[in-house]
Amino acid sequence: MSLLPFFKWMEGLAVYRSSIYLGPGVNLVHLVSMCTFMGALLMVDLRLLGTGLTNQPVKQVARTAQPWLIAGLIGLTLTGVPALMATATMQYASQVFWFKMYVLAFAVIFTFTVRRAVAASDEGRVSPVLGKLVALVSIVAWMAVAAGGRLIMYL
Amino acid sequence: MWPPPFQSFFVWVSTLPGSQYLREDAPSFFGTFLTLHVLSMCLFLGLVFMMDLRLLGVAHLDTSVTQIQKRLFPWQLVGAIVMSVSGLILFYAQPVLYWGKGFYWVKMLVAMPLALANLLVFHFTTYRSVGAWDTDASPPFGAKLAGILSIVLWITVLSFGRLVAYDWWTIVEQVK
Repeated sequence: MSLLPFFKWMEGLAVYRSSIYLGPGVNLVHLVSMCTFMGALLMVDLRLLGTGLTNQPVKQVARTAQPWLIAGLIGLTLTGVPALMATATMQYASQVFWFKMYVLAFAVIFTFTVRRAVAASDEGRVSPVLGKLVALVSIVAWMAVAAGGRLIMYL
Repeated sequence: MWPPPFQSFFVWVSTLPGSQYLREDAPSFFGTFLTLHVLSMCLFLGLVFMMDLRLLGVAHLDTSVTQIQKRLFPWQLVGAIVMSVSGLILFYAQPVLYWGKGFYWVKMLVAMPLALANLLVFHFTTYRSVGAWDTDASPPFGAKLAGILSIVLWITVLSFGRLVAYDWWTIVEQVK
């Protein structure tokens, strides 16, 4: 079953029709949300890699970063969905868009299962190597999502 | 003020070695360098925001301000360097385009200097007394002011940078 009719329907809603400032405005909020999300993400991933806030336990860094990670992700979703809807058929035809969506799905699942469990565990319960591996996967996956978003226009 | 001054300088930069090549004959150049610019922005702005939120007294309250500042600074610096270098190279490849972009001028000559000035003023005033309020959940007014100004000014820098991509406030000059 093809998703094309669904994408055409989304584009038909013309979510940006009310103002020419809506598209750019939504895009700017998307980028600010991305920075907030990435900041909260990197605080924890850097700590897992053994740098950044090394005076605090990973668990504590993860706990204080969590609200900003979630806030960033909510902002990204609320702005990303209309951005997709406005140009849905172009996105549908773009391989980079689908790359971004698959990596995004993986990154979300990974972040709220494996990474969450590792970051929330007490000192010494998880091997440092595993922590570092999880941090690297997290950084690479989310940076790939960001790069994908930027490259949809170029590839 | 508008059209902007120094057009001949920007045209001259566009004739320097490599500029025309990047602009016209390197198909993957813009995608690659804009992506580098965005990813390094995530590192720089993300960690700057986290530090600002601590100054505002709303995040990472169980970590002292000096810890946040010292431990995040090297990574903010890495982000800032990659961002600046990629930005400079993007400028080098199409200087005449940026010459004709109102948002680029305001970003570079107003928003970014203000964001950097805020950082320096805070560092040489309120931050000098950090020993007295390092672990306070609610830092003094000067620190909160610096935090909110930093967030607002850096968002302005980001926004003006992004708005360069649209046709608004633009003079198109054909230069070969």
